[in-house]
Amino acid sequence: MEEMFFFDANCRIGNGPFGVHPGVDGLLAEMDIFGIDKALVRCNDADQLSAQAFNREISRMVKSDLSGRLTGVWCILPEQCPELPPPEEFFAQMRTNRIGAITLFPKAHGFMASKLSLGKILGEAAERKIPVMLYNCYRNEEFVYNFLAEFPNLTAILNAGNKWGTDRTLRPLLEHYENVYLETSGYWVPEGIRDLAEIYGAERLIYGSGFPTFDYGSSMLQLKYSGLPDDAVRKIAGGNLQNLLKGCDL
Amino acid sequence: MTIWQQETLARQLWTTGKSPIPIYDMHGHMGDSQAIYHKRCQAEEMVKHLKRIGVTRLVFSHMDALAGIMRNAEVLEICKRYPDILRMYIAINPHHPEYIKEDLAAFKKFQPYAVGLKFLPAYHKVAVTAPAYEYALKFADEHALPVLFHTWGNIPENNGKVMLETVQKYSRLKFFIAHCIYGEWDYAERCVKESNGNVWLELTAIPGVRGLVEKLVGQVGSERLLFGTDMPWFDEYQAVGGILAARISEEDRHNILYRNVENILGRNF
Repeated sequence: MEEMFFFDANCRIGNGPFGVHPGVDGLLAEMDIFGIDKALVRCNDADQLSAQAFNREISRMVKSDLSGRLTGVWCILPEQCPELPPPEEFFAQMRTNRIGAITLFPKAHGFMASKLSLGKILGEAAERKIPVMLYNCYRNEEFVYNFLAEFPNLTAILNAGNKWGTDRTLRPLLEHYENVYLETSGYWVPEGIRDLAEIYGAERLIYGSGFPTFDYGSSMLQLKYSGLPDDAVRKIAGGNLQNLLKGCDL
Repeated sequence: MTIWQQETLARQLWTTGKSPIPIYDMHGHMGDSQAIYHKRCQAEEMVKHLKRIGVTRLVFSHMDALAGIMRNAEVLEICKRYPDILRMYIAINPHHPEYIKEDLAAFKKFQPYAVGLKFLPAYHKVAVTAPAYEYALKFADEHALPVLFHTWGNIPENNGKVMLETVQKYSRLKFFIAHCIYGEWDYAERCVKESNGNVWLELTAIPGVRGLVEKLVGQVGSERLLFGTDMPWFDEYQAVGGILAARISEEDRHNILYRNVENILGRNF
């Protein structure tokens, strides 16, 4: 098997309220040790930061990455409180700041994620096919189910696990929503990646490490020897995320 | 140069997908679980998965035997179908004392497939220090058998405090402390250091969590760590990958994956 292109979809960097974590240099060094080409990054302890600080910090860190290997994720908030720019301007600023995806933390940021609060920005995100990252879906099943029912056309990337298998929760979402993708960090099910790919297609799975909680070696070896053919492994390792980011209208 | 390109175990596994050294997985199960969908939880599928990477032995306890709805004698028959790879722990359910006495009285009948006993205190809601376990503990101590104890930090039935009390009570029994009393790392260290040299920490749920394998090697030494996966919970490549990714020496990796077990149970037990 030739060298493989890895694009990590689940990665956190920078210090946060609960401690010191690897920053841009630390992450890039770690990526070099394991052979990770690119990463989609967000702040550590994100639910303890304001959305504004989160977006500012991640922009600063992405900007300091002169190699261009890091792409950022920004938070959104309800549009009725004018804390973030309106959608058109917000997306323009994302492009300028090398931000490729959005996310939300309704519980920590104190709002209800619904059409009433996020209808404009998420309607626009759905049309533009901008990926919406939903982290920690494990144990937030009710939120994820309600959110996707409210916004069924979103390009949503769901984190698949927290070590223990989450198939009973996540498979119905993959079956029902054709724009839902599963990101694999913490999904430790034996050959589970292969099973999901065989049912829903390798195009629906996206490699994530969960750094710095999880290391790179375990998830890379698990994917490489998932039992899938080489072309499917390559899609999951990096091709799918690359295509999603290239395919969105930012 | 990445770790996968260096002249190491990592390179061999990355290149071939097959381990060049033995791997003893000392913590497995079998059968359906109440909370998680397992596609590969019966012997045939599990063995296929184990053989892909080259696991030498999986020592497991059957979920149904732990639940008290299957007898260990039936598990023995499963092992006999896969003699080159499957070994078992006699499942100990403290709510079925008659099964415990019967199975331990016939322990020789289970050998060489049975290598020890398995306790699941938190799930059975009986603390490891409770009288219900005494018979099995005394039997294991008398015969110097391994016992794999499910543990987890801050869970009253099998937390650091009760495990420390237990390891100090039995000097011949071989304590395999599953999950290293996850989260109560100082107690895990004390169990090793304040016992009679008869305690090993088993790593299920730890490889892959960044920095934990290194931390435990630093605390107790790699000679006191055993590899395990909770198979069919966790993927063998994922767990072995976590050992490869850890900042420890190649000697440490060899100790964890096979040497320590061979020192306890012999080669190809």
